[in-house]
Amino acid sequence: MLIAILCVPLGVAIVAALLPARFSAPLSVLGSLVTLGLTIALVVGFDTGVPGLQYVVDESWIPGLGVRFQLGIDGISLFLVVMTALLWAATFAWSAWRLPDRPKNYFLMLGIGEFAVMGAFLAQDLLLFVLFFDLMLVPFFFLVGSYGTGDRVRATIKMMVYTLVGSLLMLVAAIAAAVLTAENTGELSFAMADLRANVLPEGSQEWIFLFFAAAFLVKMPSFPLHGWMPDAYRAAPLPVLALLSGVLPKVAAYGFLRVALPIFPDATVEFQDLILVLALLSVIYGSAMAFTQTNVRLVAGYSSIAQLGFITLGIFSLSADGANGSVLQMVNHGLVVAPIFLIIAILAERYGTEDLREMGGAAMRAPVLALAFLIVTLATLAMPGSANFIGEFYILNGLFDDQTAFAVIAMAGVAMAAFYALRMYQKTMHNRLPDGVESREMSLRDASVLVPLVLVIVGIALYPTLILQRGEASVQDKVGAVTTAQEESELAARP
Amino acid sequence: MAVEWYLVLSAMLFAIGATGVLLRRSPLVVLLCLELMLNAGNLALLAFARSTGTQDGQVFALVVMVVAACEVVVGLGLIVAMFRRRVPLNVDELRGLKG
Amino acid sequence: MSATGFAWLVLIFPLAGSILIGLGYRRWSGRTAGLIGTGAIALSFASSIGAFVVMLGEPEDARQLTSTAWDYATSVGLDIQLGILVDPLSVVMCLVVSGVSMLIHLYASAYMVSDQGYTRFFAYLNFFVFSMLLLVLAGNFVLLVVGWAFVGFASYALISFWYRRNTATTAGMKAFVINVIGDIGLVLAAFLIFREFGAFDYLTVFEEAPSHFDPDSGTIVAICLLLLVGAFAKSAQLPLHTWLPDAMEGPTPVSALIHAATMVTAGVYLIARMHPLFELAPTAADIAAFGGLATLIVAATIALVVTDLKRIIAYSTMSQIGYMIVAVSIGAYTAGIFHLMTHAFFKALLFMAAGSIIAAMAGNQNIDRMAGFRKAMPFTSFTLIVGALALAGFPLMSGFFSKDEIMVFAAERGGMYWIFAIGGYAAAFLTAFYAFRIGFRVVLGDPCPEAKELEEGHLHHGEHANPVTGEMEDTEVGFPGSEHHIAERAPGMKIAMAVLAFLSIVAGVFQLPGITDSIEEFLAGSFEDSALFHIVPSDESAYLGLLVGGFLSIAGIGLAYLAYVRRPGLTGRLRSRMEGVHGFLQHKWYFDEIIDFLVYRPVIRIGQFFNNVIERVLVDGIVSATVGAVREVGLLVRGAQSGFVRAYALLVLGGFAALALYFLVVSS
Repeated sequence: MLIAILCVPLGVAIVAALLPARFSAPLSVLGSLVTLGLTIALVVGFDTGVPGLQYVVDESWIPGLGVRFQLGIDGISLFLVVMTALLWAATFAWSAWRLPDRPKNYFLMLGIGEFAVMGAFLAQDLLLFVLFFDLMLVPFFFLVGSYGTGDRVRATIKMMVYTLVGSLLMLVAAIAAAVLTAENTGELSFAMADLRANVLPEGSQEWIFLFFAAAFLVKMPSFPLHGWMPDAYRAAPLPVLALLSGVLPKVAAYGFLRVALPIFPDATVEFQDLILVLALLSVIYGSAMAFTQTNVRLVAGYSSIAQLGFITLGIFSLSADGANGSVLQMVNHGLVVAPIFLIIAILAERYGTEDLREMGGAAMRAPVLALAFLIVTLATLAMPGSANFIGEFYILNGLFDDQTAFAVIAMAGVAMAAFYALRMYQKTMHNRLPDGVESREMSLRDASVLVPLVLVIVGIALYPTLILQRGEASVQDKVGAVTTAQEESELAARP
Repeated sequence: MAVEWYLVLSAMLFAIGATGVLLRRSPLVVLLCLELMLNAGNLALLAFARSTGTQDGQVFALVVMVVAACEVVVGLGLIVAMFRRRVPLNVDELRGLKG
Repeated sequence: MSATGFAWLVLIFPLAGSILIGLGYRRWSGRTAGLIGTGAIALSFASSIGAFVVMLGEPEDARQLTSTAWDYATSVGLDIQLGILVDPLSVVMCLVVSGVSMLIHLYASAYMVSDQGYTRFFAYLNFFVFSMLLLVLAGNFVLLVVGWAFVGFASYALISFWYRRNTATTAGMKAFVINVIGDIGLVLAAFLIFREFGAFDYLTVFEEAPSHFDPDSGTIVAICLLLLVGAFAKSAQLPLHTWLPDAMEGPTPVSALIHAATMVTAGVYLIARMHPLFELAPTAADIAAFGGLATLIVAATIALVVTDLKRIIAYSTMSQIGYMIVAVSIGAYTAGIFHLMTHAFFKALLFMAAGSIIAAMAGNQNIDRMAGFRKAMPFTSFTLIVGALALAGFPLMSGFFSKDEIMVFAAERGGMYWIFAIGGYAAAFLTAFYAFRIGFRVVLGDPCPEAKELEEGHLHHGEHANPVTGEMEDTEVGFPGSEHHIAERAPGMKIAMAVLAFLSIVAGVFQLPGITDSIEEFLAGSFEDSALFHIVPSDESAYLGLLVGGFLSIAGIGLAYLAYVRRPGLTGRLRSRMEGVHGFLQHKWYFDEIIDFLVYRPVIRIGQFFNNVIERVLVDGIVSATVGAVREVGLLVRGAQSGFVRAYALLVLGGFAALALYFLVVSS
């Protein structure tokens, strides 16, 4: 099952690249829909309440290095996988309606991207995870570099430099973790379960944790490692940006839950405050920047920094409700930010600009578009009643218990989100139209992509328990690993 | 005969080749001088092989000859191609890979 | 059917109405959307009555019912249900909300009929009613926050309903952001409550609270203060009130429904609902009461000088809600809810009458330009006077009974609480004065040009200009065109206003001291656990209070008569004599400026600081420095790559020679 989820996107992408160009779009859309169907089947067959992995695949791969081809899924990754498949299907469909130049190359890259992200979410072997994590960069390098706008080469290089530094640190850290563990056990293994069973001494845990954290924080991006974000967001083509902002950061946040917490529990406790401070700064900084931006993309981009800050806060609250809220919020944020960028794409086509000051009045003859944008905006600002609110509520409630001050300060980010998100909506949809621009409803083609996404957002808003309950057991398991370490160190500290 | 004589000859040949490589501008001559240097090496290898009575040096010499042959094929091919494209056959002017 | 069953119906009808209107936005022509909207609310009102009747049949101690639809967000120890709590308090609120909403929908279905956004308007309006009822019926803190925020959003959507106006969108934004601050207060309170009780459920919390906290201990005071942030933001109390006057940018039915009768009273409902907590935290309750007192006085003074008809009524609303906040904070729950109800009637009526007059004035809202409508619009004039009388607390009107009950209760509690009685009566005098500042100037005097034109039988159709900026409106889309409607010519408006006028006059009969106390009796089901609820002023003091109130009301009206009818120049002279005070009031005590200076500008500054300094220097700077260093080193070694093959060969040879030399030296 998991093999199929990995193979379908890659296989379809390769086949489509070999066939004549006119087949590539329909074939890719079809393939992504099949993948989506498979992931939904995963949810249906998922056994709620089991903390461990399900649908496990475990094959020998590079025996000499102790690397195994291990896949599995649990409550944390379940809906992330569904979200990935959904957003990729949306992007494929969107791109199929407005075909880019050299479509074969474009769809091939997107397909590889989906393969890599799925792999990262499913991998249960540390080296396999690192490989998939790095593979994600390749297609996006080409997608931004050759299909982008503006100063795309510079932006791509900046993005590459940032993320490559992070990735290399992570690779070093992964190898070190396995080798150091092998010194204790006598057997080299990259399997996460093995690494978790044989926890390293605290000293080596700490630097390895920091290397991993650096890679994840760059990818998210978190303040102050977000230097690549503004340029890359300005340059990326909008459907690609929907994925770049909607899915890729989640892999990093997921990495914290999957790798950092269970494998380096002592280091997690040690650096909890550091990461919390960075996350809080991201929330405040991202919100304040989103306040002042005039480029719509960057408003959404900086708001992503703030939202990822919330997610990190939840994970490092080291409480089950905080982390479970983060899992929900990861799915929510992906679902919300992708349609925002797609709507920005529509608006940019209408106005011929992405500057908020030159927009306005688009709602006039486009009630459906306006309503879709409104729902998405309200979900972004975590309006109570949306699933994003439940996510933030869980996160901040988890944080409130032990780190009350963090939770209260983070609330300022919630207030600011209301302002900048609504400002984005108002400046595009309300007030008067600029001269020479006509307001018209979005086309049926665009609606075929946007409306299902919005319906999913509404559906989850009505029943967030769907995600929360499936995540519960796994999250408790991951957080439990840290809390036991915490208790043990406290016991040891006592005379 | 002592091995030294062979080595002296080999060193002289190598020096002549090296001087040619450094001083001549024609790529053809440079290539010839390179061959000279390689063969100087071969001579030394064979001399040592004879003096120690083992076969290792001879095997090495064979390998060097194969490399030399390949190099000549590629080098001459390049020179002919350059000649046909009317590129000036002067190594000082072939500096497109300047940093 | 059980009371909870009816309560679910109360919720479902408006939501269904909103969705139905929204889905068929292309199909509904003419007044269909208005009819669907009004019908949905009427059904909701009928269900409220159903719940009320069923509840009357229950024994008094079995009137707190809960019901759950599904697990809303339940995991890892947080138990959040989609559940409602139906008790006498929520049923009374449902009756008031759905009843008044129904009448306002009826009014709006005629008033808004020539607006291009008619369908959208009713979709929003129905959604608002749903949100308000959700807020009222919510059975736990999370659902309360949801209803709370939905109401805030609906208010935003309706304030900026005419979104082609810049002033409207800005006002909407202001309302929304201040409401979000209130939401945050509620959410933080919910976190604290969860930390203390491990539950979000009202009944669990209320039951455990008395044994859990020492009276007036830090945590419970903190919880109540956070709840107050929410209540004050929503009910436009000082200092979170600045959004309400600006909210008058919305269409007049919206002002009547949201910014007078229902939404802004949510804070009052909240404090009443949370009375078990507030009674444990008397400090917080007193702070709430003083906040209410400050608001009721400040707002009443501002209402004396503002010239925009709708804004006068808005300040009056703030002031009246101040009374209610004082009431529920000092324990006069019955009086507070009773005043909430009568206020809903007469304030909605005042706004409806104002809407009718503004239509006759072709959108102009300045009372300086209005005069003499009594002949041109007899019905509107009549309802306006009825509303003003009830607002002023004129003897035997509904406002007379409800307002004075609050002051009597305050006096009964004695001690410090006398301040509320005195302040309340002082403001009641001002209220009577400004109520008839509107009443006399609009109804009496020589007819203004618009009134004269109407007397001749046709409605004045002027250019539509933005009442705030004077900018010409874009009437083509999303704004009522040259068509507008007055009560005299629209039966729907007339019916709604007549019903409300009737209620404004007679609603006092529900609660006559010593004769009937039906509201108190019914609400006992919700408040019997409260110690303060059982403080009942004696009939003598109640009648004494009524006497004082009646006297002050007549005095205020008399003064207004003197100032605006007998000697019209009096106010002008007064104004020039007290320039400073007038300016201070005209600037609304400078609250907008202070908030702008303390909150908005610093935030913008911080954003600019991040943008110009941190982003450039710290984030980009570090990276550029690294890139620059790499480039410099590259330039240094670049010279070696000359491209001369012979130079490379020399280097190779030289290197080889150096190595050989090194080995020779080492080996020897």
